[in-house]
Amino acid sequence: MHEWSLAMSLIEEAGAEARRRGALKVHSITVRVGALTGVVPELLGRAYEVARTGTIFEGADLHLHVEPARASCPTCGEESEFDDFYLVCPSCGGIGLRPMSGEGLVLTRMDIEIPEEDEKNATDARRQGDDR
Amino acid sequence: MCETCGCGLPEEAKQAHEHDHGHEHSHREEAELYRSLLAANEAQARENRGHLMEHGVLAVNLMSSPGSGKTSLIEAVAKAVEGRLRIGVIEGDLATDRDAARIKALGVPVWQITTGSTCHLDAPMVHRALHELPLAGMDLLFVENVGNLVCPGLYDLGCHLNGVLLSVTEGDDKVAKYPVVFRHAQFFCLTKTDLLPHVVFDAAKPKREARILKGDIKTFELSARTGEGVGGFLAYLESERRALVG
Repeated sequence: MHEWSLAMSLIEEAGAEARRRGALKVHSITVRVGALTGVVPELLGRAYEVARTGTIFEGADLHLHVEPARASCPTCGEESEFDDFYLVCPSCGGIGLRPMSGEGLVLTRMDIEIPEEDEKNATDARRQGDDR
Repeated sequence: MCETCGCGLPEEAKQAHEHDHGHEHSHREEAELYRSLLAANEAQARENRGHLMEHGVLAVNLMSSPGSGKTSLIEAVAKAVEGRLRIGVIEGDLATDRDAARIKALGVPVWQITTGSTCHLDAPMVHRALHELPLAGMDLLFVENVGNLVCPGLYDLGCHLNGVLLSVTEGDDKVAKYPVVFRHAQFFCLTKTDLLPHVVFDAAKPKREARILKGDIKTFELSARTGEGVGGFLAYLESERRALVG
């Protein structure tokens, strides 16, 4: 659901981070997809391949990791991991579980090329000169 | 762009340059981050929620398939609280202002968002609508989302409560089919209960499935037409409002 607009948001958020760090190039980005978000990683990956066109991410791989939902059972206390939404305790069949993870869509890592310190200072100085 | 070796230049310019010195002027780094893909919407939602709380307004997002009775429930609540609580409404639809016209006929302040082709409301849309309503004199705000059991589940509008409606004519097997919207909800209303004698519907089944998807979800059974169960639902909203604004 909405993998296209999520891919666009990914480009925006990752782009802002790349700019903040002065990245010259991006080798890869990593996104954690919570199992409870309903986002299909394959579709997000395909949308990303289109959304990255003409951006600094054009050559950057997207690594997607699914984060399962961890929840403890209010009936028997057993903690279990789920990779879908049907939160029924595998030990006692109890329901009413409240997961502690698996809800986020998070950019967790960027593998980037950044300028060396003196090259960066020279670039910053040139940028400040342009601003004046 | 690097002026030493031309990285960042178009391909033809790069090929004209010799790369025998490597990239000593830059290095590779792995940055660990935490940036939500929904950060922009989440930030606006937080702002909406704070703004509403400052005005003492409890905001409630209603989600359901088209025709489950969202507008009818708002009408029933409006009639039940008349003279006691001041309510306002934001209506969301792809097209027409039919729902807003129904609310306006009750003398309730209402703003219609017409999304065009967008299948859900989001926090920026709600933010713009909040500017058009008299929040200073309001106790309870309903946001009636676009009729859709899929897409609204992903977008925080900045309301304090999110709820799903399912009518008894829609089948008692639907809850498990729409997990994302139920994960997003604090309450679940089975609506049109006055029609139960005419349909095959086991109310216990969807209520149990909702608790499987969302452990702490509160469930209600009501009929906007007869008023049955509306009082209990309203008591819940009033209790939540007291907890929010004191």
